[in-house]
Amino acid sequence: MAQNTKPTSILDSLGEEIIRIIAPVSICMFMVVILVSVLDSSSSSSTSASVNSIATIAYAETNSDSSWDKFVGALLNSLVFVAVVTVVTFILVLLFYLRCTKFLKLYMGFSAFVVLGFMGGEIALFLIEDFSIPVDCITFVVALFNFAVVGVLAVFMSKMAILVTQAYLVVIGMLVAYWFTQLPEWTTWVLLVAMALYDLAAVLLPVGPLRLLVELAISRDEDIPALVYEARPVTCNGSGAEGRVAQRRVWRDRGSENSDHESNNNPNANSVFVENVDSGSNSTSNASVVPDSSTESNTLVSGHNDATLVRAEEGWVPERDAELSAPLIDPRMNIQPQQSELEGIGLGSSGAIKLGLGDFIFYSVLVGRAAMYDFMTVYACYLAIIAGLGITLALLALYQKALPALPVSIALGVLFYVLTRFLLEAFVVECSLNLLMF
Amino acid sequence: MTVAAGIGYALLALGPSLSLFVSVISKKPFLILTVLSSTLLWLTSLIVLSGVWRVFLPLKSTSWWPYGLLIFTSIAFQEGLRVLFWKVYKRLEDLLDNFADKVSKPRLFQTDKMQIALAGGLGHGVAHAVFFCLSLLTPAFGPATFFVDRCSQIPFFLVSAIIALAFVTIHTFSMVIAFNGYAEGNKVDQVFVPVVHLVAGMVTLVNFASGGCIIGIPLLYFIASLTLIHCGKMVWRRLTENRSRQGN
Repeated sequence: MAQNTKPTSILDSLGEEIIRIIAPVSICMFMVVILVSVLDSSSSSSTSASVNSIATIAYAETNSDSSWDKFVGALLNSLVFVAVVTVVTFILVLLFYLRCTKFLKLYMGFSAFVVLGFMGGEIALFLIEDFSIPVDCITFVVALFNFAVVGVLAVFMSKMAILVTQAYLVVIGMLVAYWFTQLPEWTTWVLLVAMALYDLAAVLLPVGPLRLLVELAISRDEDIPALVYEARPVTCNGSGAEGRVAQRRVWRDRGSENSDHESNNNPNANSVFVENVDSGSNSTSNASVVPDSSTESNTLVSGHNDATLVRAEEGWVPERDAELSAPLIDPRMNIQPQQSELEGIGLGSSGAIKLGLGDFIFYSVLVGRAAMYDFMTVYACYLAIIAGLGITLALLALYQKALPALPVSIALGVLFYVLTRFLLEAFVVECSLNLLMF
Repeated sequence: MTVAAGIGYALLALGPSLSLFVSVISKKPFLILTVLSSTLLWLTSLIVLSGVWRVFLPLKSTSWWPYGLLIFTSIAFQEGLRVLFWKVYKRLEDLLDNFADKVSKPRLFQTDKMQIALAGGLGHGVAHAVFFCLSLLTPAFGPATFFVDRCSQIPFFLVSAIIALAFVTIHTFSMVIAFNGYAEGNKVDQVFVPVVHLVAGMVTLVNFASGGCIIGIPLLYFIASLTLIHCGKMVWRRLTENRSRQGN
């Protein structure tokens, strides 16, 4: 047919990068919703009292308190949490400044092991209990140990297939998010809002710790040690692996005169993700700082801080030397005048979009908490979060600087949750039960 | 009743959309984004409508005219949003054509434009199925089932799934018809879509009568197949005249 000989339309590949970042976010949210609905149906709501952590240190919510008391208690909890996050982020900045990267790397590997081993083990035990799966202790321990070790290797050393690394990052995000959904209800919602505000402040204020971290990393031309999800870049024009590596090198040429639009997008991708990563890492870090009996906490702390040594090992080291002479020009200077918004999002370039694991976690916490009410809120919040993510990516293309990924999505998510719970549900149930639809 | 039944109801409402999605939409990332945006748009319109109508709920269940008014206003609002959707799409089409020129690729084909319209319609349909059927399915995964008084022969979940399937079809293909109508300036198509939507909504009022769903649902499917046939004829006509134009 004539169709087969026509050149490919732009519609075939447009928007691929966005989908490559939306897909894992959706998978993580979906898994958390499944976990929450499967595991929560058995446990009662009074288990909220059993979760002791930094996030409930100020106030433990009980069902009998009035709404105002719950709100004030939740506010206190969140303030404590955000304060601890800020302190830990500043410590991270200090350590990075003092070039203790090895220590950070080891700490991250250790946390990944504890998250996968202990948190994963705990959830696996719940599942075994619920579904009465016949498995003996020794098999279970061996399997869990192997699972955790492979996970540490996957995020710690980059010689694995990218799919394995991505899968393990999503699993880590899912486990941490599930733990967060076990917090009491008011505390969770106020905490989400507080973390979104913190993210906004830490990235955009000149004194914000995340901004300092980004600037340090840019000035030293190093990777920030943190857990980050990297969507594979789109290969353009048949460039193979070399092309990909070369393009990622371009990404690291901050301010180089390579004014392909690639370089424009990549520094930004770098910054965007950085912000998210750190906000994520800190939040989880804090949870762990707790002098708590459960060892899960400790895992979380180290968890996110180490990151992308992964990429360093991928053979970029020889190319690093080429960048030493890169002048420290504001990436904005490299923007070509005719760059349309579409190219800015990375649609026309092959830059990889990176999203910090903290964003995965908090999006999933929001959706998981919505799942504890009803599935209608889940669908509404999912759409809101994806919309927020799209808006953030568009803003990134527009402003070409580091942007926090949490605020827009969390704001839209909370808004849609409230609207759905109080307005939409009554309307839809009323119409549906009378079999009136439109 | 059990997970199998729950999944069955979900697939009944969303099965064809899932196959459409996997075969046509999932291959082009832009179409996936279109589906997500149009789902969000439909959800927003539903939230606005529920915000407006919330104060009047719950309506008296004896008379049918408050419900008629509710459906009429909702459909009018959604059809208005469809025009808005079309205008946004026009601007997007210009943007995409400019982008195509810049990367020296061909401009949007006729089939591309129709696929975008299909994706938009699918988004609306999926949103309808999700919010009117899927979100109420949670009890269906448990051990029991539920019957409504007015349609007591079959479980409520089954009825809502069947109605949702009809509406998914109507929404999906009327978007294609509507976009084509606006593009060609074809008055018949432009009027066809709101009328069909309104008629379909009003037909569900028939369900209000006791035992009415026996008449209401076949009528709904008649309207759905009408939409499908009209869309098929229109697409066939467009594609053949396109091909003959290229042959010249």
